[in-house]
This record gives sequence, structure tokens and C-alpha cells, in this order.
Amino acid sequence: MNTDNKFRKVPFNEISLRPPFPIEGWGDLIPIIVACMALSIVSPSFADESLSVSGRLDLRGVYALDDDSVKEYPSLLGRIKIDTLTSAWRFHSWLEGGWDGTVKRPPRDLALFKKYDEVYQSNTPYLEFKEIYIAHSSNGLDLRAGIQRFAWGRLDEYPPNDLLNPWDYTQFLRKPLEDRKIGVPSVSATLSKGDWTHDLVWVPFLVPYRLPMPDERWAGIPAAATIAQTIPNADITPQEPDLPDRTFSNGNFGLRVKHTGDIEWALNLFHGYDPRPQFKTTAFSITPQGANILIDPGYVPAFHRITAIGFDAAAVWGDLSIRAETAYDINRYLDIRRELWGYPTVPSPGVFPLNPIEQQHNTLDYGIGVDYRLFEDGLLTVQAQQTIIFGNIDSLYERKVETILWANVKVGFMNQKIETNLNVAYNPEHGDHMAKADAFYVFSDFWKAGITAVSFNGPPQSIFGRYSRNDQLEGEIIYSW
Amino acid sequence: MNNHDLTIRKSTSRYREDARSATRILNLFINGFQKPLHPLCPGGSAIVYGFGFLITVVFTSLVFLPTAHAMSGREVYEKVHEVRSKALDRKTEAIMILFDKSGGKRTRTLTEYSKKADPEAYKVLVVFKSPPDLKNVGFLIHAHTFAERDLWAYFPEYKRIRRIPASSQDDSFFGSDFSYDDFGGPPNLDDYKFSILKEDVVGDKPCYVVEVTPKIHRKYTRYIAWVAKDLWIHLKIDYYQGKELYRTGVFTDIRIIDGIPTPFRLDMENKKTNHRTELTVESIQYHTHFSDDLFSQQSLERAGR
Repeated sequence: MNTDNKFRKVPFNEISLRPPFPIEGWGDLIPIIVACMALSIVSPSFADESLSVSGRLDLRGVYALDDDSVKEYPSLLGRIKIDTLTSAWRFHSWLEGGWDGTVKRPPRDLALFKKYDEVYQSNTPYLEFKEIYIAHSSNGLDLRAGIQRFAWGRLDEYPPNDLLNPWDYTQFLRKPLEDRKIGVPSVSATLSKGDWTHDLVWVPFLVPYRLPMPDERWAGIPAAATIAQTIPNADITPQEPDLPDRTFSNGNFGLRVKHTGDIEWALNLFHGYDPRPQFKTTAFSITPQGANILIDPGYVPAFHRITAIGFDAAAVWGDLSIRAETAYDINRYLDIRRELWGYPTVPSPGVFPLNPIEQQHNTLDYGIGVDYRLFEDGLLTVQAQQTIIFGNIDSLYERKVETILWANVKVGFMNQKIETNLNVAYNPEHGDHMAKADAFYVFSDFWKAGITAVSFNGPPQSIFGRYSRNDQLEGEIIYSW
Repeated sequence: MNNHDLTIRKSTSRYREDARSATRILNLFINGFQKPLHPLCPGGSAIVYGFGFLITVVFTSLVFLPTAHAMSGREVYEKVHEVRSKALDRKTEAIMILFDKSGGKRTRTLTEYSKKADPEAYKVLVVFKSPPDLKNVGFLIHAHTFAERDLWAYFPEYKRIRRIPASSQDDSFFGSDFSYDDFGGPPNLDDYKFSILKEDVVGDKPCYVVEVTPKIHRKYTRYIAWVAKDLWIHLKIDYYQGKELYRTGVFTDIRIIDGIPTPFRLDMENKKTNHRTELTVESIQYHTHFSDDLFSQQSLERAGR
């Protein structure tokens, strides 16, 4: 993929004069949208069906508690869901968009609609189909085509079998799991027969995860941050990766066989590109350009095919609702710790090749989660999950066994007019942790408002510690219809 | 849906006790006449006693036994169970309005599908149509027997189905004053004991007033239910925790649909919080004979579509 033109700086006046409804970014979507709409319209039952439309507007303001952290503007996000109500044919669309409050947008990004071939994209403003598909159901067979999100596995936060959708990390950890997921163009078939359900999914090409720009609020602490901090007027501009060709063999495939019973269990098989972020190095460069200094951090997202074989199960035992899952990943790539990447100790203009940073490992992920009803409208959920990394891990930041412990308490008051949630997470290997608390008041069927407080702590490379400057308070007003 | 889990154990001890009391009262009444009538006739006493016994039996039969002998609490609830079982094949569209004590109200609309199932006792799928926050949220019940059931809930926001322990069945149903269990089918009669307290009239309908006590652990330790004599449905239920009245359900606008008595209006009031919920049935269809596919987890994810 030629990315040269994408890296040019776009002058401010060019941004402000761009067409109000740019067609860039529609390329991937047009065939899907047209196909979905056409199929829906030609459906014999279309005349009988009714449309269901719902939506939501979400105005949010962030108060950063760390003065040194990147700020965010107030955000306004909206979503519209459209469903047709028919017996056999269904059309579903979930369009989301708005301004997410990002202070800095990728300078090259002129697209209004999110693209399916870029890692760094603008969210100010943006439009994205989280889902848009046509479905046909009959005789226990459910066929869907379009942009879909899947939810495989059982765990709440990092389900290791949930690999079909990459994540949008631009506001990582402040968004719930399902909001992070990027819908992928795909075809799926679900066959249900008695207690058995079989899911088959084909994602024809790689859709990369999305990352924030290095100096956005939710970029965490990027690898080149230390260098960049020492250089005034530094403009860190990461490169887009070269994505694999869109061939059949480069598609992602998933198979899930589920059995319902006292213990519900499923076998999962995934073969395709690992959706979890991982990088390869190019060359670190510092280039003075006028008053600014352009920095290429010297790494680009890398994509490798993995095979994941997994198992998940759920059951009720007394007052406990228990979930568990495990996945063995073959050919997973991880990056070595940042001290070994080869950044120059004293930054100066020039190009500095970095060391190879990728290592191939097999990993075993497993976890268990339990729901326990504390009292009416009070639910405690605890979850423990671990990753075992096989092979030599001496160069990795990760330990042989990495653990994340989660606890969540959800309590409703006044017949759920007040909804509160406390979520804490802890990674004992590195001592990093996260705490998130929110409280919402439901004014009516349409309006609710709430506040959220988030806090992170830990070493810069750890999963929560990398956001240790992101402690913040949020205020949010939500209108739904 | 209109009834809460109430079941009956076959028990006639209370009416027997009532009958004994009546006999004692009547004997006193008879004995009171005996002495002035026959003060000098010891033999007359036996006659009078014999006559008195006869009157006692007749009086007791007329006044008390028709109530006591007509049915036991268990038998009343066997009738209720029968009517509820007949009503299991149905589709219901309903509106729930939640009123808080300050006058605020929230509205939920929902569709309920249910069917008698074989070998299971019944299956129920409930899907919300509004408000926006709850749209397409659903829950599913597979009752293997009337005593044993599996529950699942689906939240589109999370795209995941969660199994719900049976211990949550008495919890508030999505913020309303109804419980999950109110949306289930009839309960297992053997899990409860029943006794008829009295007869009463609600509106113009004569009722048995039955005390129902769970033998299993439930949120409510006692129910007092008004069961319409001719329709065998609840007209009112008081739910107690210990001696404290917790909530009251009133069932009105009774219509006969396909031969099945159906309350179109259900009011549930929480006496502790003064929060109440009105459930109005907008439409109901019986004998729907839905396919099992409608009650699958896939269907739950698709909001019944």
C-alpha cells in the first residue's frame, strides 16, 4: 500500500475547506451498503415489514487530573440503529459517529467514514458502521453478510477466543469491550440443531486494529515518548503498515461448535491475523522541518497469522454463575521490551535503524469469571485470567505467566433510577492497576446523566501503567430515543 | 404471567378446626336452650342433646362445611395451575409503567412468548421493545419441570448471553415491581403449603383467600392470595417477608380470551418503597404453538426475530 500521500501535512485551510461529505473512505463500504439495501428491498416480505429505528446522543466532557497529560475536548457521539422486522429476512444497521474530543487528528486523514485499511484514523469527526448486515433465517440456519461484530468466548474483558474483531484502541479502557470492537466485513452462518449450534465465519480480508496518534490522550506512553519529551516542538508521526494482499488465503476464518445443557460449552477455532497490537521496527528518524521537528518513531503495526484453538464453558452452580475459557495460540508474535529496541540515547537529527523486536511464541490464555448476586440489584463479578508464554521470554517485558484480576460491583438504587458501577483490575506481575467508578441517574426513558472517575497506576510498559497519566473525571449526558 | 408463584399443599386442617369451633359454639347455643326447656326431665336432656347434635351437624354443614368441604387450598391451586398451564401457549404485548413515589414515571414495552414444552414444562422468551436502553434486551426461561428452570439474559450492549442463577428469580424485573418469576409459568405445587383462610369478594367476584407458604427458600416467606372461585385466577396477592407486607399485586380487567380468563391490567406496588408498576396487556394471543426455535439462545440474541 502506498502511503506517501497519506503522510503529507495537510494545511489547516485544506481541512476546513474539504467537502462536507467526502467520499473518501466509502470505497470499502459502498458495495456492502448497496448489497444490504438491495437484498432488503427485494425481499418478498419487505412490504409487510416495519422499520425499527433507535438512537442515542452522548455529550461528554473530560477533566484530566494530571496537568501534564494530553487534554481532550468535549465529545459528542451519536448512534442510529435501524432494524427491519420480518419473519425470515432481516436488515440491521448501526451507524455511529461524531467528535470524540481528540485534540490531535492524523494530519493526513480527510475521510469522514472510517476506513478498513488504516490504523491511524481521525475521530474528529467520523462516521462508522459498527454493524450493517442482511440476514436470512430459516430452519435453524442463520446466514448473515455485511459488517458484523462477533462475541465468542465467555470472559468479560479479554476473552481469548474473541479474535474475529480487531479493537479500536483510540479510547482504550474507557470504553466497554463491545464498543471497542471494530465491525468487520464478513459472511457468517449459524446452524442450530437441538442442543448444538455451529458458527462459521469468514472475514475476507484483514481489518487492522486502530491506534491513537502518539500524542493523543489514549496513546498511553509510546515507545518513542521518552525521546520525544526531550525535543521541543516534536511532531511524532507514525507510519501506516503495509497490509497483506486481499486474497482468499489471507482471510480470517472462525469455527465455533456450541452445546447447550446444564453446562454450556463450546469449541472454538480461529485461523487468521492476530487482532492484538504488535509492532515491527523500521528506522527511527528525526527530521527538522521549519520550526517543527518531525519524528518517525520507527515502528509500524505488524500482522501475523495465528491459529487459536479454544474452549469455553458456562454453568450455574448454586447462587454462582460461572464462566471459563481457554485458548492455545500458535505462532503468536510479541515484542521485546522497549529498552532493547535500540533507540539512540542522545536524540539528534538523522535516521537510526532499530533492532528487530518481534519474537514468535505459542501462548495459552485461560480465565474464569463468576457472577454473584450480593443482594437485589447488586451484582459482584470477579474474573481472573492468565497468559502463559511458551519459549524463551528473557527479552520480553511480559513474564512467563501474566495475570489480570478483575472485580466489578454493579448496584442499582431506586428501582434502577440510579445505576452505579465500580470496576477494579490488578496485574500482580507488574503491580499495575486500574480503578473505574461511575454513577448515572436516569431522569426519564430518554435522558440520563452521570459521572465517571478513572485511575491508573503502574510501570510505563504495563497494561494499566501505560495510562498512568490518564486519571480523569468525566461528566456525561445521554439522550436516547 | 399474571400470577405469582403460588402453590398449594393438600391440607384440610384449618377447615376441620373451623368446623370443630363451630360445633362447640353451636353446642353452647343448644345447651343454653336445653336447661330452661327441660329443667325437670333428665331423659329430655338426651332427646334434646340428640336434637341438638342433629342441629349442630346441619348448622355446621350449612354454615361452614360448604366452604371447608368444597375445596382444600391445594385443590384451589391445582385449579389455578390448570388455568395457568392452559394459558402457557401465548404471545403477549404489554406496557409496563413504573411510578416512583415522587411521581416520576418510566415506560417499558415488551413482548412475551411462551409455550408448553415437551419434555420441558414450559419455555418463555421476553423481549423489550422500549425504552431505548432496554431495546432488544431479553430473557429466556427453560423450565425442565415446574420446579427446575434455567434462565438466561441477553444484553445487546455486551452481545453476550448470561446465565442467571435461580436465586435471582425473585429480584426486580428490570427496575419494575414485578420479579423475573412473575414472568415464568406456574410453579411446582409441592414446593408450597396452602390453607384457605376465608372467603371474600373482590369487586363482584367471590374468592377463596388462601395462605401460601413456600417450603423452599424464596424472597417472600408468605403470600395471601385471593383466587376467583369461578375463574381460578388471582385477583389479588399480598406478598410478605415475615410479618411485613412487602408488595401487593392486583389483577383487574379480566377478560375471557379463547376460554381462558385473562387479567389485562396488573398493578404491583412495593409497600416498602412506595414504588409501583402498572402492567397493561395490549394484546394477547393464545394457542400460538410457537416452534422451539423461538426459544433458543439464537432467538434470544435476535430479540425473538
